[in-house]
Amino acid sequence: MKGQEWYQEDDVAESYEDKRFSRGGRLIDRREKQAVLDALQPVEEKNVLEIACGTGRFTVMLAERGADIVGLDISGPMLQQGRQKAQATGVDDHLEFMRGDAARLPFPDDHFDAVFAMRFFHLADTPAAFLSEMRRVARELVFFDTFNRFSTRSIYNWALPMGSRLYSRSEVTRLLDDAGLQLANEDHDFVLPYGFYRKIPNGLASSFWDADQAIGGSPVGDNFASVSYWTAEVA
Amino acid sequence: MKEDLMDIICCPLDKHDLDLEVDERDDGEILSGTLVCTECGESYPIEDGIPNLLPPDMRDEAPA
Repeated sequence: MKGQEWYQEDDVAESYEDKRFSRGGRLIDRREKQAVLDALQPVEEKNVLEIACGTGRFTVMLAERGADIVGLDISGPMLQQGRQKAQATGVDDHLEFMRGDAARLPFPDDHFDAVFAMRFFHLADTPAAFLSEMRRVARELVFFDTFNRFSTRSIYNWALPMGSRLYSRSEVTRLLDDAGLQLANEDHDFVLPYGFYRKIPNGLASSFWDADQAIGGSPVGDNFASVSYWTAEVA
Repeated sequence: MKEDLMDIICCPLDKHDLDLEVDERDDGEILSGTLVCTECGESYPIEDGIPNLLPPDMRDEAPA
C-alpha cells in the first residue's frame, strides 16, 4: 500500500488537514464533502463504514448528520486526530474509529447500508481485492473516487512523492463488474489537479474553479476530468 | 471504543466473534484492553481507545 508509512507519522497526522485543506484546498474539501453527501443521503440512522478515513474529515461530518458510522484506517496517529475531533463535536456516541486492513475487514457480510472510500483507490496496489471486500460488508451501496488516466492529473503525477494509480472509465466498470457491483451514478470534475488548488489562495482558487467548472461542464470536459466519483449498488 | 462495538466487529482473519478483556475504562469508553478471537485465539489490542484490528502480519510492519 502506497503511503503506508508516511501516514503513520505523528507530525504528518497532526498537520494533515492544515496542509491539505487550507487555502485553495478549502474548495476541494467542500466539493468532496458534497460528493459524499450526494452519494449517501439521506444519512440519518444509516449504518455507514468509511475505509481509509484518515483524520475523519467525512466520518465526523456524517456523524454530525446522524449517521451511525465506523471509520477504519491503517494509521493510529491519524485516527487519534479523528477521535479528538469526534469528542469535541460530541458525536462520539455514534461514531467509532478503528485500525484495520481494508483487504481483511473485521466485519460480517452485508453489515453496512453503505461503504465508501475517498482518496483511497489511487493508493491501492490491489484495487480488485479492496473493492470486493467493500462489497462483502455492504448491503446496498458502495461509493468511491478515482484519479483519472488521460487527464491533467497524468502530467501532474510525476511530481508526487508517492505517485498515484490512475484509472480509466473502462477499468472502473470492469472492477465493479468483477466485484458484483452495478454502477448507479458517476460524476466527473476538476480539470486542474488538486495540488494546483492547494498552492494558491482561496480567492484566486475561486476564479480558476469557475473556469474549471465551465470547461468541466462542457461536452469535452469529462474526457479531461481529473477526479471521478462512482456510486455503485450491490447487484 | 464503546462496548456495543462488540455487536459489529469480528476477527479480521476468520470472521468469528471476539471476546473483550477490559484493562482500563473511562465513563463507558474502553481505553485499553484486548480483543480475542473465540475461534483462532488471535488477540487484538485496544490502544488509547482505538481497537487495533490489523491482522498480525500488518501490525508488525506498521507500528502505532
